[in-house]
Amino acid sequence: MLQARDIHFCIHNRPIVDRATLQLESGELTVILGPNGAGKSSLFKVLSGDSTCKHGSVHYNGKALSDYKSIQLAQVRAVMPQHSSLSFPFTVFEVVELGLLPLGKTFRKELLQEVMVETQTWELKDCLYGNLSGGEKQRVQLARVLVQIWDKRPFPRYLLLDEPTSSMDIALQHHVLSIIQRIKSRNIAVLAILHDLNLAANYADKVILMKNGNILHQGKVNEVMTGPKLQAVFGHPIEVYPGDEFRPTIIQSTPLNRINKQIKHA
Amino acid sequence: MSLQTLTYHKEKKQMKVLVSLSVLLLAVILIALSVGAFGIPMTSIFSMIADGMGISTGSYTQQELRVLTNIRLPRVLLAMLVGGGLGLSGAALQGLFRNPLVEPGLIGVSSGGALFAVIYIVFGASMPLMSSLGKIGLPLFAFLGGLINTFLVYKLASQSGKTDISLLILAGVALNALCGALIGLVIFYADDAALRNFTFWSLGDIGGANWQKVGISFCFLLIPVGMILSQFRSLNALAIGENEAFHMGVNVQLVKYILLFASALIVGTAVSLTGTIGFVGLIVPHLIRLLYGADHKLVLPGSFLLGAILLSVADILARTLMMPAELPIGIITAIIGAPFFIWLIINFKNIRR
Repeated sequence: MLQARDIHFCIHNRPIVDRATLQLESGELTVILGPNGAGKSSLFKVLSGDSTCKHGSVHYNGKALSDYKSIQLAQVRAVMPQHSSLSFPFTVFEVVELGLLPLGKTFRKELLQEVMVETQTWELKDCLYGNLSGGEKQRVQLARVLVQIWDKRPFPRYLLLDEPTSSMDIALQHHVLSIIQRIKSRNIAVLAILHDLNLAANYADKVILMKNGNILHQGKVNEVMTGPKLQAVFGHPIEVYPGDEFRPTIIQSTPLNRINKQIKHA
Repeated sequence: MSLQTLTYHKEKKQMKVLVSLSVLLLAVILIALSVGAFGIPMTSIFSMIADGMGISTGSYTQQELRVLTNIRLPRVLLAMLVGGGLGLSGAALQGLFRNPLVEPGLIGVSSGGALFAVIYIVFGASMPLMSSLGKIGLPLFAFLGGLINTFLVYKLASQSGKTDISLLILAGVALNALCGALIGLVIFYADDAALRNFTFWSLGDIGGANWQKVGISFCFLLIPVGMILSQFRSLNALAIGENEAFHMGVNVQLVKYILLFASALIVGTAVSLTGTIGFVGLIVPHLIRLLYGADHKLVLPGSFLLGAILLSVADILARTLMMPAELPIGIITAIIGAPFFIWLIINFKNIRR
């Protein structure tokens, strides 16, 4: 279990994240939602260990983040940041191969190919990373991160994703989220920052709603992702049409040009 | 193609590249031993080697043997060691700063080494503490200067884990200017003997090579070269980003300090022995990447070998172009390197659009 208590993160004495408490459980996909500047990425960086917070604590499997060596931490959690730029002409294969780094010499020979086929990057393996499109780059980075935690281990592990699908087309977004859904069954807790409310509503197990550095609501999807709560967080008219086993939940945000007309109509 | 064959092919290719670079280096060394103001025919060199291995052929003169062992061989070895060291430290610094335009001379590492070397040359004799260091005092001081400037440049140019290349270059310009001025100031206080010593050294050539220098360079380069070579995995991870490298379990801070320390030691040693030789650290890693890809497993040893080759070739040119006079080797590397640098800038512009 990942436990974060009372996370308080400031930049120039301005609180970016204020007293955030959350926990991630194995087998669950938790999605952080919120408007721009809500403090999602800052919270994410505190959880991943990139930033250290003044107050509060982060524990991975009961052990404080600061007590981990970076190599031990890499065996427990994998992180996909929002943007990664390469400074040298590496091939796609070389980038994905880097995910093996924390595994030492004890990895399966088929691991790389398996992950690359799954993420649809195998056919790109000889391309230079710099020549790829934005969506392809994200797939390659995802593959690199997945390699790190693909094979089962006897302890719970964590996958942290900061907007992993932001440059992907709709089919790939669904593809990636279904990979995430499958990987969480390997004793892995997944945390993802997403912007697409529909993806969140249909794939997440739990949702965290953030605004102005505060966690306003967190809990099960159907409890948190309601019209009024989303509307309050995003400051925009949003309607939720709950789905069932067969039909997806649909979240609709009203376009501004319709709002004006609705007002006139009324 | 399956994965196993893919990695196998890659490793085989890398091995092939390193072997062919080694063979090329060996060929260049043989040529370098042979040519010069006093030419030693290749046949003589081979029979000397055969003689050394116990097969007596004896088809060379004692004069040839003396020139080879006392003058030519230490010079060729020194060019090789310094060139390899500069190439490798260039690759390490480029990897560390995550930028292919970084070079020890450009960011002020060399000038820091030069300043402290000059301080040692001018004041060393009159300060008992400094003179007690003996022959290793000069490389030690140059290392200290290189290290100070490396850390200064790094601190000036990086903010929250990211290194800004324009800040880096500007910091390099500032430090180069400051060190240049301070070198001038120190020389102002130099007496005649120190001045002669300095002039000889500042020409930046390998002509003053002797076995002592080869020994010093070997001792001082061995450890940092090994340190850098061992970091190829971390450097690969750093290429994606410092945060990403941390996510993958790299102790980024430690790796940075290892690379800064080792590069400063290499460049400082090189500067103290042969003066400031520019552009080798820039061109060499670039050529390797251009030809064989960016994997540091190959880039690091490849840069050492190609650096050794390049400086040996430059040394051959320095000795033969104006025969029997000699050009300082720094002139040769700059004549080759500066146009290459300009070509790089043009290329860089095109890539960034």
